[in-house]
Amino acid sequence: MALAVNSGLVFPVLVAGRILLALTSLPDALKHDHQLSSPLTSYLNLQEGIYLFKNGIDPYAGGVFRHSPLFLALFTTVLPTSRIISSIIWTLCDAVGAWALTEIWRARQRVTQTSRDGLIAAAYLLNPYLFLSTLSLSTSPFENTLALLSFMFAARGQVSPSLLAAALLLQLSLSSILLLAPLILLLASSPVSQLASPRPFSRNGRKIIPLMAEFLAYTAVLSLASTLISGGWAWVPQTWGASLTLPDLTPNCGLWWYFFTEMFDHFRPFFLMVFSIHLLIYIAPVCIKFQYDPLYAAFLLFGILGTFKSYPTLADPGLFLSMTAVFPEIFPYLRYPIVTTLLHLHAALLMPLFHHLWLNQGTANANFFYASTLVFACANGAAVADCVWAGLRIAIGPGEGEEGKDKGGEKFVVVQE
Amino acid sequence: MRKFLWALCLLPPCLSHSFSGETFNEELLVRALPDGRVVSRFEFTTLLHGATPRNPQNLSVEDHSQHYTLFPLALGQILREYAVTELHLTLNAGKWNYDRWGYPDEPDVATGAALWAWMAEGSGPIARHSVDARWRDLRNALAGLFCASIASLDEQRTTSPARAFTPVGALPAWPQSLPHAFRHASLPSENVCTENLTPFLKLLPCKSRSGLAHLLNPHRLFDADWHGMGLHVSWHPEDGVQVRLTFQSVLDPLRAGTSRGLHVDWSLASLFDRTIDRACPVAASSRVVVTLPNREPYSIRPEPSSNDNGLGVYDLAEQPLPLDVGMHWLEPFQHGLAYFLPHPTIPSAQAPLSVRRMLRGSAQDHGALAISITNPGSAAVRVVYLETLPWIVYLYLHTLELTVDGVPRADLLEDISYIAQVPHGRAATLEAVLTLPARSTVSLHVGVGRAFLRYTEHPPDAQRGWELPGAVVVLLPSHSGNQSAPAGRWVSTNKGAVQRTAQKQGEGHEQQQRRIYTPALLVDPATPDFSMPYNVIIFTCSLVAFIFGSVFNGLTRRFVVLRVPPE
Repeated sequence: MALAVNSGLVFPVLVAGRILLALTSLPDALKHDHQLSSPLTSYLNLQEGIYLFKNGIDPYAGGVFRHSPLFLALFTTVLPTSRIISSIIWTLCDAVGAWALTEIWRARQRVTQTSRDGLIAAAYLLNPYLFLSTLSLSTSPFENTLALLSFMFAARGQVSPSLLAAALLLQLSLSSILLLAPLILLLASSPVSQLASPRPFSRNGRKIIPLMAEFLAYTAVLSLASTLISGGWAWVPQTWGASLTLPDLTPNCGLWWYFFTEMFDHFRPFFLMVFSIHLLIYIAPVCIKFQYDPLYAAFLLFGILGTFKSYPTLADPGLFLSMTAVFPEIFPYLRYPIVTTLLHLHAALLMPLFHHLWLNQGTANANFFYASTLVFACANGAAVADCVWAGLRIAIGPGEGEEGKDKGGEKFVVVQE
Repeated sequence: MRKFLWALCLLPPCLSHSFSGETFNEELLVRALPDGRVVSRFEFTTLLHGATPRNPQNLSVEDHSQHYTLFPLALGQILREYAVTELHLTLNAGKWNYDRWGYPDEPDVATGAALWAWMAEGSGPIARHSVDARWRDLRNALAGLFCASIASLDEQRTTSPARAFTPVGALPAWPQSLPHAFRHASLPSENVCTENLTPFLKLLPCKSRSGLAHLLNPHRLFDADWHGMGLHVSWHPEDGVQVRLTFQSVLDPLRAGTSRGLHVDWSLASLFDRTIDRACPVAASSRVVVTLPNREPYSIRPEPSSNDNGLGVYDLAEQPLPLDVGMHWLEPFQHGLAYFLPHPTIPSAQAPLSVRRMLRGSAQDHGALAISITNPGSAAVRVVYLETLPWIVYLYLHTLELTVDGVPRADLLEDISYIAQVPHGRAATLEAVLTLPARSTVSLHVGVGRAFLRYTEHPPDAQRGWELPGAVVVLLPSHSGNQSAPAGRWVSTNKGAVQRTAQKQGEGHEQQQRRIYTPALLVDPATPDFSMPYNVIIFTCSLVAFIFGSVFNGLTRRFVVLRVPPE
């Protein structure tokens, strides 16, 4: 009981602490940081777009503003744009995300309250990748919150809110289309952990078609609304198109920017296509293998997105890391959690350092920062690969990592054939 | 015999037509500057009487043959081929110091190459008759003609500001034609040198063999503190098509080594190392004009043919040749003793405004553009501030702040028009109409971001950076109370009667826009490692393959349990 009271307190205390932090001058110091906000999510670019829109200049005619027209509508009508109020809105958005993550956990455990609730909320609200992104007023917390909301509604079986949240998410970020398949599988099945007892997807596949149709309808309506807001289709190449054609090569924590800075001009379209399709390749195998637990499949795809999407911010891998809190059953089966953690630590320290040395101090060059993003990608990739392993290893039996003991107490080793 | 006589009778009208159809005038203006330097401005004007610019609607129809005696054929062909109504090209080196040298006689002193033109829209579906296609072809043709990098004034540098530039001549309004389109491009890093002067001289009827052009000695001109050449083509409905070739230079008599002690004496021979040996026989008028001081004692040899209102004029037709004008000061030079005279053909020497512009911030990804404009006058001035930025630097317009002595004054910003940049495609254009209060300094501060370039987009010697074109401050006429400057003087030719719109020469300078150019800025974008393309492709692809392989390995293989025998 004491634990439950504690976890009930954890959430408001954390949110209050985060709001206090947001009211300091930290956001002004962080708003230029390339790792926390990409050209697609930067607060400065958002403000520029809002300013142009308010002054009757089409913000999509230029190359600075790449946010969805929905943001324009939101900030020119409902929400104020002052820095302090923005900081509070952003923090509250994170709070909603933390609440959604807790709800996903509860739905997965089929209980209304658990002793781990506070821990899950803390994993989201105290994750430095996430809260620094929020402090920098990047719009990626909105994407994360929408993603979590859509999975939360799906876990609760609320079809329409879930698909609507997913359609909104698609408006903000094209690459989130990866999450559609596990989301629909989740709507057609249940969020309860089935990792230890894999079985083929047994539900009626016909349910999927109306779900898809509903999603497409929401997307069409939202796209039309965006077109009406911005007065034309120019937003499509500027927002969705940008994540495919990479017109802005501002450094970030991902793999695309330096690759396409250094790419030979005549190979650029080819490799843009390869990198975009590479993201899509993961959907089918992950969803087929984890068809009995679509929430886990979604979790893995969050990891893939955080590693390989075109304009990632630290909030994308951060969401993947925070989501691991929802799957404590895999922890004993991870093969090299220490190595992954150390890689993350290594990259998290080196990235801001090398970024500063390159662009502000002028004593390093681009290769330094590129090398640290490679380490970061290694860390994310290792985490995803390990989670794939652990998610499958659970089914075999108790033990740790690759080794275990069967019911007779006999030792065994798991290998891949 | 009879036929021959007929031919003889026809000959004089032909000849007279060909000579009366074209006039060539040349003038050299020499003026001492307050800091002791001497500015010289050569002006060669060829007028093609009765000619009109080509209507781009008729580009698909065969053009009439071009036959010129004095007018440069190479240029005429370009103008006709691309149906250019008005064209200006300037190639300048150095930065014009407005604060010390005053307002230049030839106002367009933008650093590097600058090209601007008015062209009417072509008709029909033929793509190469569109303004943009002809603008591209025009750049290429002029690049060939002047041996300059004008061809690299591509779409990334082309802008169409609406207010800062107005045509010098008139723009014909052809029936069923669209209004004229304006294109402007500048390349501040262009170096101007002898290879540009040689084709320039070839456009003159006497080349550099006789007349004033003989003084254009590259050894001296390109050694000057500032030098620039210009080509200005305009159409004046009552006169015809005018081609004006100018060469302006700021020479330092102290450095030339001919001055006696502190006497900054100069002569044509000391400045140009040449004298005028022969007059150009086809020139209708050929004059050397020297501004004469009104306070300091001096002696000038030879005596000018006429002393008109403080201007000593030498007409080559009346002067004995060779001519070497020499100015001798009787007292040592004292810095800053201005002796300029108000004269209708010389704008008041004092620069009306002082403009400073700089790029702030040490980070390579963002910074700020700070502009301060000082109005020393006793009356408020309305100006158009034009900023054209290549896409490598982009403005955060929402951070624009206008202050006077630290006090925000948003009310001074009257109107703003902005065309945003497109990465890898289009430059940004910002035109703001400002009011500058009397005796005050207005500061503009706007945040900028710097783009990251592909490795192939960096210029050679990438660490040196890119030169941003200078801003242009255009003074708006104070007497016209109503908002914007006219976008061009429109003349109707379809009514048969040609309306007279061009102002008289004296008023023309009053009417002409006064532009102040700021020096170019150097911006150093963050550079990638240029030796790394293969390495980066290999590293990144290996990493992607490694992660892809690990994930697929886990997903596709079967798990097998191996019993460990107890030992």
